[in-house]
Amino acid sequence: MAADTRAPSTPRRTGYGLVYLVLAAVTALELWITTLGLAGSVRTPIFLALSFLKASLVAAFYMHLRSDSRTYLFVFILPVAMVVVFGLVMLIR
Amino acid sequence: MTQHTLPHSEAFRAGKSLGIDHLKLGVWLFLASEVMFFGGLIAAFLHYKVNAPSSQAGLLSVPLVGANTFILLTSSFTVVQGLAAIRRGSRDGLVRYLSITILLGAIFLAGQAYEFSSLYRDGVTLQSSVFGSSFFTLTGFHGMHVFIGILWAGSTLLRAARGRYSKEDYAGVEVFGLYWHFVDIVWIVLFTIIYLV
Amino acid sequence: MSSEPLAAPRPNWRRYLTWNTDHKVIGVQYIVTTFLFFLLGGVLAVLVRAELIRPGQDLVNGEEFNRLFTNHGSLMIFLWIIPVLAGFGNYLMPLMIGAQDMAFPRLNAVSYWIIPPAGFLMISSFFVGAADTGWTAYVPLSISAPDGQTLWALSVALLGVSSILGGINFITTAITMRTEGLTFDRLPLFVWGMLATSILMVVATPVLSAGLVLVALDRLVGTHFFTVAVGGDPILWQNLFWFYSHPAVYIMVLPAMGIVSEIFPVFSRKPIFGYKAIAASSMAIAVLGLLVWAHHMFSSGMDPRLRIPYMITSMIIAVPTGVKIFSWLGTIWDGKIRFNTPMLFALGFISMFLIGGITGIFLASIPVDLHVTDTYFVVAHLHFVLFGGSVSAVYAGLYYWFPKITGRMFDERLGRAHFWMNFIGTNLAYLPMFLAGLLGMPRRVADYAPEFTTLNVLASIGAFLLATSTLPFLYNAIVSWATGPRAEANPWRARTLEWQTDSPPPPNNFPVSPRVTGGPYDYGEQAPAKPLTPAPAAGK
Repeated sequence: MAADTRAPSTPRRTGYGLVYLVLAAVTALELWITTLGLAGSVRTPIFLALSFLKASLVAAFYMHLRSDSRTYLFVFILPVAMVVVFGLVMLIR
Repeated sequence: MTQHTLPHSEAFRAGKSLGIDHLKLGVWLFLASEVMFFGGLIAAFLHYKVNAPSSQAGLLSVPLVGANTFILLTSSFTVVQGLAAIRRGSRDGLVRYLSITILLGAIFLAGQAYEFSSLYRDGVTLQSSVFGSSFFTLTGFHGMHVFIGILWAGSTLLRAARGRYSKEDYAGVEVFGLYWHFVDIVWIVLFTIIYLV
Repeated sequence: MSSEPLAAPRPNWRRYLTWNTDHKVIGVQYIVTTFLFFLLGGVLAVLVRAELIRPGQDLVNGEEFNRLFTNHGSLMIFLWIIPVLAGFGNYLMPLMIGAQDMAFPRLNAVSYWIIPPAGFLMISSFFVGAADTGWTAYVPLSISAPDGQTLWALSVALLGVSSILGGINFITTAITMRTEGLTFDRLPLFVWGMLATSILMVVATPVLSAGLVLVALDRLVGTHFFTVAVGGDPILWQNLFWFYSHPAVYIMVLPAMGIVSEIFPVFSRKPIFGYKAIAASSMAIAVLGLLVWAHHMFSSGMDPRLRIPYMITSMIIAVPTGVKIFSWLGTIWDGKIRFNTPMLFALGFISMFLIGGITGIFLASIPVDLHVTDTYFVVAHLHFVLFGGSVSAVYAGLYYWFPKITGRMFDERLGRAHFWMNFIGTNLAYLPMFLAGLLGMPRRVADYAPEFTTLNVLASIGAFLLATSTLPFLYNAIVSWATGPRAEANPWRARTLEWQTDSPPPPNNFPVSPRVTGGPYDYGEQAPAKPLTPAPAAGK
């Protein structure tokens, strides 16, 4: 079964490699931050932001959401938004 | 067996004109349902983390699991390298990268197994506390998904070795990749909310 | 185009008993199988109403009664109304968009074949210490309930998988397989309804699955998700459950609204009023429907600060729903109305869904809800929307597409008799329940205070009338399918694509792939009518 007919983005090996290095660096950064003994209210937003960055990089570049039809992005974003809403409500109770 | 007046490829014309491949759309929709499934388990874990905190959480090992996180991230890299290889027409490249992916996935699972058994030794079990219940359920289902991913990688590898994929026809590899990267993303979230935050 | 009747093909019953990836076969399999569960659920309802015709536990004791209403609700929701509408979607969607089959025919067959074993599991749960917690299975009761509860949970989880796979198939099909010329603004409203429904199926169902996993683990493995003594929280289950089960009610009604949207223009010979509004409202209801679940939990002890936002979102949902109702009225207004059976059921749908819907707004109001929650007021509300509403629409659809599916015409007089028995029975059964609830009669009880007796007698008589009303339908359906007069391709003179091919359609649906040049509801246009008959397509 042929893949979608949009012009495929040139497989940029250096692009994927760069993303990988960023992911590894951010993970190392996160592990370093755990050793700092920061207060929970400071750690939490930082870690959430960093993990959101990592997840977005994987989704955008490895899963090609950035270059493919926006429909796939919408299909993925809607449930993510719902999980965030549901998760927040669950935290309150 | 239905007789088709339209060749199979013509049946999905409407999607193609929108730049949408039906197989990819189907997989993304499946991933959407998986997001919601993990979302339910994550919500349960977070609910108890905040409302019924447990000292047992202190027994988690960040360094070990941090290393495991590197392993899984690397495996995502090898998967996408495999895809790039077949898009260049390199069957051998695909086979090589898939093999490394399987190896990394297995190492990840071994790491998880080690983490689980040390926790069990320290008295953190499915039944020891609400934390134990929610921790093992959430990470257990993730591990299950990695295992299924390894099996899928294996079958993709076998097909690749037999020459099933090519520069023009690699949708099966792409679809496997979407699943694997998704499992990686779930781990990124889990690592953060369980071990970091 | 074949308008001359072909030699009447003997229906090949055996086709429907085996694995088949043809969406038309799967659609019929869904409809017939789920109808059997409908009848079974109806038997349980009759037993419930027989017990309630007098105060006191005369026919069954409290425990047995709990099993009756639990399985009645579970059968009706999970094995009847949700899958039967998926069955309609399966049969009709490819035809309506000019495609040859669904996007994933084998996955489609898998979705159907999950249903018989899941049904078997739910029925067998009855015999191993049945589920007796109500279909809502609140914890901690459902953790300590007998073994049947585990089978119940497994059954529901399997049916959830079937639903999710179906949703994936519907969305992919509607987006990628529309025939040439069938742009989104020409998509039949039933397809829009199925699209909106499918979003909910994919997004909401997995959360229930997660909840069922937690319940199963607590029951089977001894986890403590819901052990209150060590910090477990029963409200967590309620949230997981209702996050799905509220959108579920839209899963149960959006396709039904799609069905009546198809019927009104045909039987009024008028274009649909407000096509874009109806399509947009379906999508709006789906999205909003994901944000209102806690209105089922107003009296649960949930954080009081959250109640008002849920009340507001729940009331807002009435707006797109109202848009649909006014659009349907605008469609039939001044139309050349034919009161065939499908139209009668569609009209019945509007009137009865309206009662159910408006009482839903009453329930959205927190102070009212705190007074009537867990009373018969809720039972009346839900039966007006689900029975008066969705089931009426299912019957409307069954009669409307009967000639297309079977190639034969049903008996119109029997159809009318069925309609009137159904309409009178529904109102007689459920209107008294509103009053009983307001006066304080709780739901899910086998015994009640004597002052509620008259209302219960009326309700039970209505229920028995409803039970009897299925007889003319069954007779009509079975005998007409076997020996009814041959139907032509388009007996209703409708304009959607399924009517532009034979009755029943050939295996590949259309001999030549259709090319669409106009909308599906352009009735009574003065200019040379642009039919949707397959033009000599620029294809194969």
